[in-house]
Amino acid sequence: MAAVLPPADADLVAATLGGDEDAFAELVRRHQRRVFGTASRFARDHHQLDDIAQEVFLRAFRHLGKFRGEAPFEHWLARITVSACYDFLRKERRTREQVSLDAHDFDARDTNIDAALAAGRARELVEYAMRRLTAEERLIITLAELEERPMREIAALTGWSEANVKVRAFRARQNLKKILEVSHER
Amino acid sequence: MNDDAEQKLNALFAAARATERDTSRAEFGFEARLAARLREESGGSLFAWAWKLCPFFAALALAASWWGHLNLRAEAATQIVAEATQENAEQVLLAYMTGASR
Repeated sequence: MAAVLPPADADLVAATLGGDEDAFAELVRRHQRRVFGTASRFARDHHQLDDIAQEVFLRAFRHLGKFRGEAPFEHWLARITVSACYDFLRKERRTREQVSLDAHDFDARDTNIDAALAAGRARELVEYAMRRLTAEERLIITLAELEERPMREIAALTGWSEANVKVRAFRARQNLKKILEVSHER
Repeated sequence: MNDDAEQKLNALFAAARATERDTSRAEFGFEARLAARLREESGGSLFAWAWKLCPFFAALALAASWWGHLNLRAEAATQIVAEATQENAEQVLLAYMTGASR
């Protein structure tokens, strides 16, 4: 007897468009881990993480009719995730500019890379430095350095040209280095 | 010196990659929260439409009250004419036939 295969993502999309709510719930279950993984690179706490993930799936639900099935569903969803994260970063930066830069963040004495590595606080140091970058720079560093995505893929995800992605990635890296040096000299 | 900085940055990124944040707490009950938000959105859209239509309904109410007010004045005038006609039927008929205004 042949084993019953789980429905493909495209079938679940079609079922959702036909009004089947359970089909969308299944899509969420399948892909939420990946969405949370990417969103956690940008969110500061669980509430922000939840907000971003909800925004991603809400956008996916609203635009499900535009999914043509030419590329896998997870690629389509990844583009939505990146777009939602980018919007979140821009919004957060605007809010933070009004409030002043996070004073409670990371202790400036710990901004030495060697010390952070030795203390197992690399992620915190990266987050501390990244919060001082622009939304674009932060997005590109996350995708290129922390998620190790190829430039071509980043270009597809962001809608920027590959050459543009390379230039932005280089500049972002230089800025990050400068931030770490300046913070450490203080 | 520059190479050293590059290497350090690469090491920092590698270490940051290795310590991924645990998202299980945020993922707990996510489906239910999302379903509630989707329901709220679809229900909320009717509410939003109602709010958007508010100026239209306000304009409609104003137009209706203005029309009612005008109608009332016209009706009052008609009533006065009718009453006058009933009381002085002969004079009105004479004025109509002769074309006299008084």
